[in-house]
Amino acid sequence: MKIEGWLFVSAAAFYGVIALIYSTMTGDVIGTTVLALNAGLAIIIGTYVLFTGKRVGTRPEDRLDAAIEEADSDYGFFSPHSWWPLPVAAGAATTFVGLIFATWIMVLGVTVLLWGVFGWLFEYQRGDFADF
Amino acid sequence: MTRPSQSEYAAPHAPREERVGRTVVKWITSTDHKTIGYMYLITSMVFFALAGIMALIMRAELTRPGLQFLNNEQYNQLFTMHGTIMLFLFATPLFVGFANVIMPLQIGAPDVAFPRLNMLGYWMFLFGGSMVTAGFFTPGGAASFGWFAYAPLSNAVNSPGAGGDLWLLGLALGGLGTILGAVNFITTIFTMRAPGMTMFRMSIFSWNVLLTSVLVIMAFPVLAAALVVLEVDRHFGSVVFDAANGGAMLWQHLFWFFGHPEVYILALPFFGIASEILPVFSRKPIFGYKGLVFATIAIAGLSMAVWAHHMYVTGAVNLPFFSTMTMLIAVPTGVKFFNWIGTMWGGSLSFESPMLWTIGFLATFLFGGLTGVLLAMPPIDFHVSDSYFVVAHFHYVVFGTVVFAMFAGFYFWWPKWTGRMLNDRLGKLHFWLAFVGFHMTFLIQHWLGVMGMPRRYVDYLDSDGFTLFNMISTIGSIILGLSTLVFIYNVYKTYRTAPLVESDDPWGWGASLEWATSCPPPRHNFVSLPRIRSERPAFDLHHPEALEDSH
Amino acid sequence: MITSRTSGRGRKWRAAGLGAAVLAMTTACSGDEFLRMGMPAPATEEGSIIEALWTNSWLAAWLVGGLVWGLLIFAMIRFRRRNNDLPEQTKYNLPIEILYTVAPMVMILVLAMFTWRDQAELTDLTDGPHHTVGVVGFRWSWTFNYLEEGVYEIGTPGERPQLYLPVDETVRFELTSPDVIHSFWVPAFLHKMDVIPGRTNKFEATPNKLGTYAGKCTELCGADHARMLFDVHVVTRAEYDAHIQSLRDAGQIGVLDSGRSSDAAGVTE
Repeated sequence: MKIEGWLFVSAAAFYGVIALIYSTMTGDVIGTTVLALNAGLAIIIGTYVLFTGKRVGTRPEDRLDAAIEEADSDYGFFSPHSWWPLPVAAGAATTFVGLIFATWIMVLGVTVLLWGVFGWLFEYQRGDFADF
Repeated sequence: MTRPSQSEYAAPHAPREERVGRTVVKWITSTDHKTIGYMYLITSMVFFALAGIMALIMRAELTRPGLQFLNNEQYNQLFTMHGTIMLFLFATPLFVGFANVIMPLQIGAPDVAFPRLNMLGYWMFLFGGSMVTAGFFTPGGAASFGWFAYAPLSNAVNSPGAGGDLWLLGLALGGLGTILGAVNFITTIFTMRAPGMTMFRMSIFSWNVLLTSVLVIMAFPVLAAALVVLEVDRHFGSVVFDAANGGAMLWQHLFWFFGHPEVYILALPFFGIASEILPVFSRKPIFGYKGLVFATIAIAGLSMAVWAHHMYVTGAVNLPFFSTMTMLIAVPTGVKFFNWIGTMWGGSLSFESPMLWTIGFLATFLFGGLTGVLLAMPPIDFHVSDSYFVVAHFHYVVFGTVVFAMFAGFYFWWPKWTGRMLNDRLGKLHFWLAFVGFHMTFLIQHWLGVMGMPRRYVDYLDSDGFTLFNMISTIGSIILGLSTLVFIYNVYKTYRTAPLVESDDPWGWGASLEWATSCPPPRHNFVSLPRIRSERPAFDLHHPEALEDSH
Repeated sequence: MITSRTSGRGRKWRAAGLGAAVLAMTTACSGDEFLRMGMPAPATEEGSIIEALWTNSWLAAWLVGGLVWGLLIFAMIRFRRRNNDLPEQTKYNLPIEILYTVAPMVMILVLAMFTWRDQAELTDLTDGPHHTVGVVGFRWSWTFNYLEEGVYEIGTPGERPQLYLPVDETVRFELTSPDVIHSFWVPAFLHKMDVIPGRTNKFEATPNKLGTYAGKCTELCGADHARMLFDVHVVTRAEYDAHIQSLRDAGQIGVLDSGRSSDAAGVTE
């Protein structure tokens, strides 16, 4: 994952330099802050990706001569279909609407949201999927 | 040794007898990136039509001096919502839609990294967009402070009413969904590529999806924060954006720090679409692949350092820094242009609808790019800022890129998505009507702006001398509006009656992996993957005779 | 697979012809105006700087555009499909790529140098003698405070305020707003500047052409944004003095910074 990591790390370096130049040229606090935070975001992601890459090592998708068969046969679990994204989004939307119009709507929204989030998190640990 | 067509293994189409209700449930509980992508695309097109109608209404009002059928407040709502819907509820979700449908196929992945999160993003878009648009049904009407919502115009004193609040929080919700989508795309590209699909063998479209997603996670949080804080100002009486506290400039910096990368978020995916189509219809690889990737990285990186070129006339920003950075960004953009022409150069060109639309994009975007370089220069911007010159410029770059390349992508990938081709003759008619209509509408607006017509004006004086040009522009807009009907008819006509596509690659010269699976692909995209040894695995698979030809 | 039987040749020429027709139809006929492409003839000394940069930059832009459109059209004609042969699968060409990276950089550098020079001059506030007009942009009209003379002019959306300036004399505008952001634009001056609440903006202009010019608000400020108009009269010194006297006679004495002519408290002596 070296290229991926370096993409973010070089972005961080770039924005760090730009923040410095900008601060020197303009003295503007707002722009300097957002640029510096941008660099911060990029360095967090970049270093994480680089460290993970070092831990995981070279993967088949990093090698020019890899064969399709080298992909992990147990590729992963993909949710076949799910109702839960809908109540989570509906709860979030209702919460925002309630923020504008009435507190009781907000309470309703937060309730639906929390119910949706927990339903989502435990979807594949319950019912048919328990002991999966 | 040719492989059998993936179509032979493909899942059969849904039986016609399936009840509508069952299909609806299948779609709203879907975790398939293709289905979710289609939902994004369809919903975006509905918003496109809505905002397009708003534009036609505005153009009708502007045809002649004097107020004909709108009042000032209604007009302000129309242009605010037109801009908001086009940028946030059409073009940005369109990127998420295209990226969703195409990118996993192109990198050889069975789906995205977080399928349920993918769907969550769609619902947040739909609900957020509905909130924003619901402003029209409130007593005070929809938000009317312009899509950049400058403070203090957008505060509770100057723009009271729930329309503004719905606008702010609806966009916050939708923006959050976009961020989640971007996280999904970055993770998918980093962790789910097929063996042999190194970063520098990825298709240009997928590269552009990656870089756009990086821009999203950098820019949208700033927007979301600003929107929420403004809403708190409006609703709970805080004074963050009050004029006395320097709030006017604070809002502008925060908004444009998001706002400028936003237009590159809009442009880059569609540059990617052009980069996919040109090689197929030139029968040559994309010219200068690595240079193109680095140019795109340069554009994405620089785009976050130029925001205050929207603020030159505030007198409160450093002109040398921003004008230099802005002019710099023209260089990698120019490089891309030569990459595209270089792809056509020496090729074997054919001009089916996807290619025609792509060339339309090239011709249009070029002019928008040139006016952009002019706008980057503060002395010139002092005159034309906030005038119709800017309106013309951004329609050239945004419509020229997003809409032209969108239709190019539709005509190109339609067989992959639906198993049927769109009618090519209708596609060409659609193109010419749109091309003529677009240029008639917007070319003349450059002159209007330079002559002295400000933007966001509901009306102008007879003595201004703007009437003739406005009339021409309105006629153009009618032609442009009508062109969309041709597309709708094409979709309707081919839906049932066009023959099913037999092969994996009906265009014959597809390069990227989506052309190595059936039309449409099975649930998890590939029954088997071909060997990946270049950035054109499907081309290598289908045209082994060409393998020794490249240098 | 569907192939197109008609050549691509006709298409771009038709489009170009349409463009040329629109261009010819819409630009004025005289040579100078044609080069300015719709820009008003500048009525200030500073405006001439902007005009020169504009016309020269457009020259460069049209040249670049002509080159690139030309390459595009040429490619469409020259390389259209004639047979089923596979074209040479060229993937890169380093010398050409370097050329088309470096050449735009050079062009941008040239543009940038002219830009730096001009923007420095335009934003400069001189130490020399000048009139000062305090401009107050408010919802939805303007107040003009003639600070040296101690009189003011105020307008309404229905009755545009009139700004009088003596020809060939530098005037400094000081822009303030009591409510939202507006923008002070006189198209004939080729210059605008925002009027931002919480901030005083300043710029200078030296009108050098007699005449009456339209002025408009150019930043969305609410319902009557399109009616926030004003007129600028560039007149001889004598006419200017007469106008100031007429304001004095009308009792509009003092500095009005609130935007409400009925607000007596806003009028300071």
